[in-house]
Amino acid sequence: MNVSRIKAIAYKEWREILRDRLFFTMAFVVPIMTLLVLAYGLSLDVEHIPFSVIDYDKSAMSRDYLHRFIDSRYFDFQGEAAGERELDDLLADSRIRFAIIVPPRFQEQLLSGRPVAVQSLIDGVFPYRTQVSKGYVAAINADFSTELLSRYIAQTRGIRIEQASVLVAPVRLETRYLYNQAIRSRWSMSTGLIMLVLMFAPPFLTALGVVRERENGSIYNIYASTVSRGEFILGKLLPYIAISALNIIILWWLVIELFGAPFKGSLLFFFPASLIFVVCTTGIGLLVSLLVRTQAAAALLTMVITFIPAMLFSGLLVPVESMDRATQIEAHLFPAVYYLNIVWGSFLKGLGWSALWGNVLSLLIYAAIIWTIGLLSFHKRPRQ
Amino acid sequence: MMGSRLLLWLDRMVAMTVKELKQLSRDPILLIVIVYFFTVDIYVAGSGIQMDLKQAAIVVLDHDHSAASRDLIYRFRPPYFDLKGEISSEHEARELLDRGDVLAVLDIPADFQRDLMRGKNVSVQMQVDASNATLGTLATTYAGQIVARFGQEQAKERLGLTEAQLQAVPVIQDRHRVYYNPNQTDPWFMSISELLTVITMLSLMLPAAAAVREKERGTIEQLAVSPLTPAQILFPKILAMGMIILLGAAVSLFLVILPAFHLPIKGSLVLFFIVTALYVFATSGLGLFIATLSHNLGQVVMLVILIMMPLLLLSGAWTPPEAMPDALRMAMVLSPLSYFIEMGYGILLKGAGLDILWDSLLGLALLGVVIFSFGVWRFRRQFR
Repeated sequence: MNVSRIKAIAYKEWREILRDRLFFTMAFVVPIMTLLVLAYGLSLDVEHIPFSVIDYDKSAMSRDYLHRFIDSRYFDFQGEAAGERELDDLLADSRIRFAIIVPPRFQEQLLSGRPVAVQSLIDGVFPYRTQVSKGYVAAINADFSTELLSRYIAQTRGIRIEQASVLVAPVRLETRYLYNQAIRSRWSMSTGLIMLVLMFAPPFLTALGVVRERENGSIYNIYASTVSRGEFILGKLLPYIAISALNIIILWWLVIELFGAPFKGSLLFFFPASLIFVVCTTGIGLLVSLLVRTQAAAALLTMVITFIPAMLFSGLLVPVESMDRATQIEAHLFPAVYYLNIVWGSFLKGLGWSALWGNVLSLLIYAAIIWTIGLLSFHKRPRQ
Repeated sequence: MMGSRLLLWLDRMVAMTVKELKQLSRDPILLIVIVYFFTVDIYVAGSGIQMDLKQAAIVVLDHDHSAASRDLIYRFRPPYFDLKGEISSEHEARELLDRGDVLAVLDIPADFQRDLMRGKNVSVQMQVDASNATLGTLATTYAGQIVARFGQEQAKERLGLTEAQLQAVPVIQDRHRVYYNPNQTDPWFMSISELLTVITMLSLMLPAAAAVREKERGTIEQLAVSPLTPAQILFPKILAMGMIILLGAAVSLFLVILPAFHLPIKGSLVLFFIVTALYVFATSGLGLFIATLSHNLGQVVMLVILIMMPLLLLSGAWTPPEAMPDALRMAMVLSPLSYFIEMGYGILLKGAGLDILWDSLLGLALLGVVIFSFGVWRFRRQFR
């Protein structure tokens, strides 16, 4: 290993990156844009759900009942509909996501101590949002029922209303949200997306860069030179690691400034750990570049083997523990799982070396394996 | 005279279209990309994400150790929860949550049973790891339902009500109907959303690749001196690629999405393919624009990614418009994908027809004409 040769190669690579304007733009724009697009585009906060109602009863009680939906911050009232046909059309046109139909004689039935069935129609196109909306509706119904019931019990048994409400709902669940008190999905997503971006952008750039050398034939200069394969790979990849290191800082800053996520951990833990992750994923790019011959193929193969695992098998959307056994093993074959623990641990949980060293160690081992395979399969005398 | 001119024109169009198809059939990378994205990618996306709580790990801190507390604890069962046992200290709870080993800790207070018997209000505490906001929300919803049901049963016992009497108390009975996707089957939503995204990506990439290939190989000079008009060079490319994309969409709909996910197609397939054809033409205008900016396939892929990102962000593919910030929602009129998504979900899942979707169709047509003319204009300038 000769340091000045490595420096020369790294400098050459850097100049080449700077000269290709499109490539240079990609290096910084793609990570930032991915973060923005996915963090804004994949919002999982279920709020402002547009809805409509039909009130066949038009009594004081039905108005009181409907106002619990209208006044809720989760719902966005779109006015009363004239009939059920209109509701169907509004739902089909996505103008509303759910509707409530209060039946005739709503107040009369309840006052005379009989149950009333209230129909709600929910748009099921976005399954997760449907699930959550259903939960909101059920909660409002349950609250209203509890009040009705305690009033009824208080009346029929001649006890005080407070006493009756304890009788009706004796157990309460108090939830404490740790790490993300207001359960803002934007905090989870934007921080988690640092993992996604650093999983696919470094290998993407690296693979393109290495393959470009081969595509335009300038790699023969390297083959013919005195540079050893280790020196070449190290020099070649250093600029990409440097770009990614810069991107770590940019992403970290954006997530805090733009999405308001807290950073509770230690920078002295987060940055070194992130750098190790970037070294890992850059190594993946090296492997990809050894498998394909054209830039187009390199770009597509990288997307396939990094983006999908990072999205689906990392714990970003579905926790790894909930996957079946085979998928769990598959998930642990990618470095994304370990790094996501590091990101969420550092940002939201305020953890550091003592709690997360295992994940860092896994990344180190991973990097060592990837780079060794990469080094050994790069030959200066390619078989033709 | 007119007739023979028309024949000649048609003849040239057919010859050029056949040429484009033949060229595509000799490009292994693009063929693999087309096949991969229309089959494997859609299958993986459709079956990958199930955004519901599945066997979330939970542990219990039981300070009471009574029959009542055990009764409550054993209600935290699959499919939603997986009881991982009991722990003895707050400290241990915090550590498990920090490490992400469990999603929630249920804390049952001492004297739980005694207070219940005395008719006092008791509350059970749950600490939830909300670093993943989605799971935090779902865990709270389901735990809330479990505790509420437990409470109701306790109340029933203490009030001495029988099942028959329970039918005669004033409560709201929640009757919900979920339209379009009654069981909130995630794969229906995910696979359609992915199909529409893949169509977008390929209708950007394939025409661009076909045009850039001429540049890469220098054959564009030959075309320029041939008797073909620029339109006769361009349209066959778009026509050939459009046909391939429609074929791919049909394959993925009938051979992947229908057999694997049992999607019930509600609307008119003819309408769906007409809309898709219109969309492919609109988007291919952007593809031609990409072709004017790039010199090789590698750059095409990079630019496709750059243009895809904002299109996706503004499309509502994962997040419905109402959940987006206002500024982004206004900008959605600029993304052709937003109309395509609305119509895609509308036709395939909701069974909506033109009477409901006409406004989206009109929007797509207008935007399509603008984008397409822009692309053709940019591309034709190259022949001057």
